[in-house]
Amino acid sequence: MNVELTNLSRHFGRTRAVDGVSLRAGTGVFGLLGPNGAGKTSLLRMMATVLPPSAGKLELLGRDPRRYGPRREIRRRLGYLPQNLGYYPGFTVYDFVEYFALLKELPPRRVPGAVAAAIEQVGLGDRAKARLRTLSGGMLRRVGIAQAIVNDPDLLLLDEPTAGLDPEQRMAFRALLRDLGQRSTVVVSTHLVEDVGAACTEVALMDAGKIVFQGTPDALAAAGEGTGAAGDAPLERGYSAVLASARSGTPAGWGPPRPVAEEPRA
Amino acid sequence: MSDAAGPPGPAGGQRLAAPPDVDLGRVWAAVAAQVWRRKPGPAERLASRLLRSPGLARALVTTPSLLLGWVIASALVLAAGAVATVSTGTPWVAILAPAVAAAGIAYAYGPGVDPAWELSQSMTISDRMVLLVRALAVFGLNAVLGLAASAASGVAAAVTFGWLIPMTAVCALALAAATLTRSANAGVAAGLAGWTITLLGARLADGRLAAAVAGGSLALPYLLFAAACGVVAWLAIGTARPPRGTH
Repeated sequence: MNVELTNLSRHFGRTRAVDGVSLRAGTGVFGLLGPNGAGKTSLLRMMATVLPPSAGKLELLGRDPRRYGPRREIRRRLGYLPQNLGYYPGFTVYDFVEYFALLKELPPRRVPGAVAAAIEQVGLGDRAKARLRTLSGGMLRRVGIAQAIVNDPDLLLLDEPTAGLDPEQRMAFRALLRDLGQRSTVVVSTHLVEDVGAACTEVALMDAGKIVFQGTPDALAAAGEGTGAAGDAPLERGYSAVLASARSGTPAGWGPPRPVAEEPRA
Repeated sequence: MSDAAGPPGPAGGQRLAAPPDVDLGRVWAAVAAQVWRRKPGPAERLASRLLRSPGLARALVTTPSLLLGWVIASALVLAAGAVATVSTGTPWVAILAPAVAAAGIAYAYGPGVDPAWELSQSMTISDRMVLLVRALAVFGLNAVLGLAASAASGVAAAVTFGWLIPMTAVCALALAAATLTRSANAGVAAGLAGWTITLLGARLADGRLAAAVAGGSLALPYLLFAAACGVVAWLAIGTARPPRGTH
């Protein structure tokens, strides 16, 4: 398991952003769904070793990030795209991705090739020398994805990666996700259920800091069958049904929300 | 890319197919990298050798308060201070140098300065190491500029070196305030306010502005205060609060 969370919590003052989350994820694409304020970003930031947990146990790539040495090793093998990607307006696309490749301590001789390959993977080869201030929001998002994958990470954490991407780019990105998920653990936080349906092998639904569902996208879709839940697609109906049941305390669809810590689909 | 047997070559012959074990994607990436990459400048190459880390060196040369414009502005302020010292007899370089350095330190690194701060925190090279290297470099450069200006103004050696210790304290205050408040401007304000209060307090007690600079008895309090501020900054830099508007 590349990600093992046990009763993980994070408080900000009296606000419990993440409340006793337990989760395990191996190789594959893992979707984190939930409404705004559900705690997805805080959970992802803890997995990115950016935010220390208030309580609980966090193990990433078989290591404990609380200790300096293991944390460095985790970070070396980690890719992270934050929700709000800050960037240096005067940097070119290449400079930006190269900067983070260097901060990830890629061997210097590998850096140029890895940077170019990452830029090509996100389809920005023709804008590699463009300054970031000249790029659109969708292109900046792709630059962010490029820096996240430049070290060929074993654990890739993406917070709202498809925000700002047009439909064509979104489809290309989902294909990239599926490809990356063949060899690494990819955790994608999103509020777009179609991203989950198209790319994820496993999904967890968060609400009010807790995981209220964990299973396959098919299981989430099935949870909405016959419930009369709102939504245009089966996954949306499953999402609505599970959320409604979690908030009312009654089981959704054909059964109760499944507990956490389930093995991901192969 | 995978179409190895392409169209006829310019001489009319058939273009050679790439051997099956050649990864054309990797070859293209290597070629593209040579076209796209910017060669590091001499300062970055030197820093890379000294620090033994190309990542730290790149982080260092991207420090806002080490960019050429900032350095020129600092040098001009201190040069003006040297002229004022020569013409008035008041050690203006010694008074200005800590303030200029504090502003540079506040703009060296932190959530209020680095747009990609959140991302930097997840990197192998720790944010504390980046902070340390940048702060030391900014401090060192400002010390050199200040010493040059001070020497040029011809003041006594005790005054020339006397401001280095207060400068350490003021810089540490600016750094701690900038890190705690996540605002470089707040760091600058705290540094300037702290230094102004110190100068005015010394003037009230001693009748001279320069008393805060040259007083040897103040060295220990300055150093203790600097150490305390340094600890605050060190702890604050590792306490990651969430970006506004996220959960």
